[in-house]
Amino acid sequence: MSTKNDILSNIRRHTGQTYDMPVIEPAAIQYPDAVARFAEVIKSVGGSAIELQEGEDINERIISLYPEAATIASNLPGIRIATINPDEVETPHQLNGTALAVVQGEVGVAENGCVWIPQNVKEKAVYFIAEYLIILLDKNKIVSNMHEAYRKIRFNDNGFGVFISGPSKTADIEQALVVGAHGAKGVVVLLTT
Amino acid sequence: MPHATFGLFVPCYVNALYPEAGVATWRLLEYLGVDADYPTGQTCCGQPMANAGFEREAVPLVKQFHSLFARYDFIITPSASCAVFVKEHLEEMNGRLYEICEYLHDVAKVETLPGKFAHKVSIHNSCHGVRKLRLSSASERMEPHYSKLKKLLYMVEGIEVVEPANADECCGFGGMFSIEEPAVSVCMGHDKLKNHLATGAQYITGADSSCLMHLQGIARREKMPARFIHIAQILAAGL
Amino acid sequence: MNAKHSEAAARFIQNRALEEWHNETLFLVRKKRDSQAITLPEWEQLRQLASQIKMHTITHLDKYLEQFALRAEANGAIVHWAKDAREHNEIIHALLRERQVGKLVKSKSMLTEECHLNPYLISKGIEVVESDLGERILQLMNKPPSHIVMPAIHIKRQEVGKLFEEKLHTEKGNSHPDYLAHAARLHLRNEFLTAAAALTGANFGVAATGDVVVCTNEGNADMGTSFPKLHIVSMGIEKVTPDYQALSVFIRLLARSATGQPATAYTSHYRKPRKGCEMHIILVDNGRSDIIGNPDHIQALKCIRCAACMNTCPVYRRSGGYSYTYFIPGPIGINLGMLKSPGEYAGNVSACSLCYSCNNVCPAQIDLADQIYKWRQQLDSLGKADRTKKLISGGLKYIFTRPGLYNTALRLAPIINKSPRFLIYNNLDAWGKGRELPAFAKESFTQMWKKGKIKQHP
Repeated sequence: MSTKNDILSNIRRHTGQTYDMPVIEPAAIQYPDAVARFAEVIKSVGGSAIELQEGEDINERIISLYPEAATIASNLPGIRIATINPDEVETPHQLNGTALAVVQGEVGVAENGCVWIPQNVKEKAVYFIAEYLIILLDKNKIVSNMHEAYRKIRFNDNGFGVFISGPSKTADIEQALVVGAHGAKGVVVLLTT
Repeated sequence: MPHATFGLFVPCYVNALYPEAGVATWRLLEYLGVDADYPTGQTCCGQPMANAGFEREAVPLVKQFHSLFARYDFIITPSASCAVFVKEHLEEMNGRLYEICEYLHDVAKVETLPGKFAHKVSIHNSCHGVRKLRLSSASERMEPHYSKLKKLLYMVEGIEVVEPANADECCGFGGMFSIEEPAVSVCMGHDKLKNHLATGAQYITGADSSCLMHLQGIARREKMPARFIHIAQILAAGL
Repeated sequence: MNAKHSEAAARFIQNRALEEWHNETLFLVRKKRDSQAITLPEWEQLRQLASQIKMHTITHLDKYLEQFALRAEANGAIVHWAKDAREHNEIIHALLRERQVGKLVKSKSMLTEECHLNPYLISKGIEVVESDLGERILQLMNKPPSHIVMPAIHIKRQEVGKLFEEKLHTEKGNSHPDYLAHAARLHLRNEFLTAAAALTGANFGVAATGDVVVCTNEGNADMGTSFPKLHIVSMGIEKVTPDYQALSVFIRLLARSATGQPATAYTSHYRKPRKGCEMHIILVDNGRSDIIGNPDHIQALKCIRCAACMNTCPVYRRSGGYSYTYFIPGPIGINLGMLKSPGEYAGNVSACSLCYSCNNVCPAQIDLADQIYKWRQQLDSLGKADRTKKLISGGLKYIFTRPGLYNTALRLAPIINKSPRFLIYNNLDAWGKGRELPAFAKESFTQMWKKGKIKQHP
């Protein structure tokens, strides 16, 4: 406790002129077609956004995208093709080797291709360990910018959430872009209505 | 302002090395109907010492500047960086002290110039000119593109104006920086020159002779075919 | 120690090919930043807001830190306070020792670099694994980062290839980045699965919610924290931000400024420990609270560590991170080093041509160049001023305050054909290293004026 008090009192002792919090209402960008912009940006960051057509079966669509995925992790009720339920693993380590994970996103952001995913599985590892990731997102939940997104995001009891914008990547060797550093090597956002 | 008085401030190195830039500045003012005075006691504004970390050595020079120039309504100079330095150290000079292009563009609002300069010129945007005096938009700032220098140059007949790649990257002069960090300074100047020459321009021009002096030194050493001219000399062509 | 940036920079430039590559590659990153920034008409407004939010937060830091700590603890995290590097390192070691952790996997944290955590833990027998690819490469090479976002920017692929052959048993002679990055993925996957604790830095701590926000492209922070029972967060006290609306401003600026991406691939919010696991947050002062009381340099605390100032700095690009003696190079590093220990890091202050490009790119509008200018004014009293510059400056003042002498010198200069030493700063060696001296005009402007030549047209 004494360190805490020392730090806080040192802060108070040194604080001179104070500044007010600004009103945070920038004239933030609005896209006339946020869905189209979202798809464009996702593409630019190495992912893709695909609209599920009316009447199209989501499972078939996923299989057509990743026909060779042997292990598919998902806890979503509609994903019949799942081979692992990440809610039922005993340790997150058991998710190692997952070829494809299918997860639910809650908010999409047109300006940067981010999708908000509140942890709604037992082990958050599933979002990162799978070789490929499919994020389901209601296209009506795409907003233009991060200010709007931060007003909308919610957590559940797991207390973790992540904005994912495209696949995992690195440019740490000579600034050459390599997709698939530690997380997913590919990200598809499947837009639903 | 028919009865306004004008003092001409010719920075030390322009005075000694590039007096023609001072002459051109005076002629431009004359063209505008101004009979500018030149107080002969002037030496240096103090910038080199201050940028090197010896602002206190510069204080008497700033005072000297004040005692020489305070009596004029307008003070005009052919150096962006000296103009910035004086304005930052003598608040009362704001709105009175102008770099010549700034004066022509913002205050006199010239629309035409009588001269002819049938050459291709590459603009050397100096850091203090761009980021302090705002003679042109800065590439880092998301603002509409403009260049007061370009606009003025295009008033001269026959001219073709270009800019080098990375048009507002520093050339590496930086006053005492050029002495304390010679390797980086020369490297920066070399890169800048390459970009200027790649435009195919016959002349490199700008509002700061100090940058041009540095580039000229490198061009001569490396035997690069570059010619330099202060922008006031082009604008005053034929005057 | 007062190693000079200028000398180290000269050595870096001797390898002209590497210098050119370094310079051009980083300038490309700067241009990518530009092309992202221009997509947002509100860009300059965001920078202004970021600056204002930071100034507000820094000058109400006690309130926000207490709020953050309260929220985080209500969420189930345990908050520790560390006055300095030693306390920070000891807290971490105690956490690991008490839980008998043998291996710690880390994601990138400049703060732990600042605190020299790795050597400390290694000396205590703990295995420390950096998981950011660039950091891992450097750790295996036993080298420090040369850039805070692209830590291995100075290393060529062939060097990485050789290193991985030796350490990860990759194919001989294969230095393709795809191949090497994939090898690192497999190698580090194993480390993630076997480490008993994970350490991350924090890009932001949100006072209103207690969230720790970590931004990465690789997903290494997320992989690291997904398996072990213990997650330790090292967070500088200036990283706290009031709420989500404030955070949204920084998130919009950070990746665009840093790498020219619209967002990092992962923006992770750690609010609670994983079920059955622990999350410990260490709030580290280490000199930050003193900076609040320094009006000339308080703005250094606005930094969000994006490195845009490095990428735009013409001196950094041509001299490389190792030519600076502080572990953070470039404009912000010059300032942070001086705030840490002026005696030790004064040799970096020359590494600035005062071009002010850094001020313009900084997403938080830090007055970086102005601060460097101010440090220069203090070097003499610190006994760290460059002797040559001091002599020249004194000499310049002597002559410039004596207009008669000055005018005599001007008149004589072309005649005696000797360089006007006071004008070319008296250090002919330094000027002459790559430049010819300027030629003197036959007559100075003053002489022409006195002779009435100016008003008289030829």
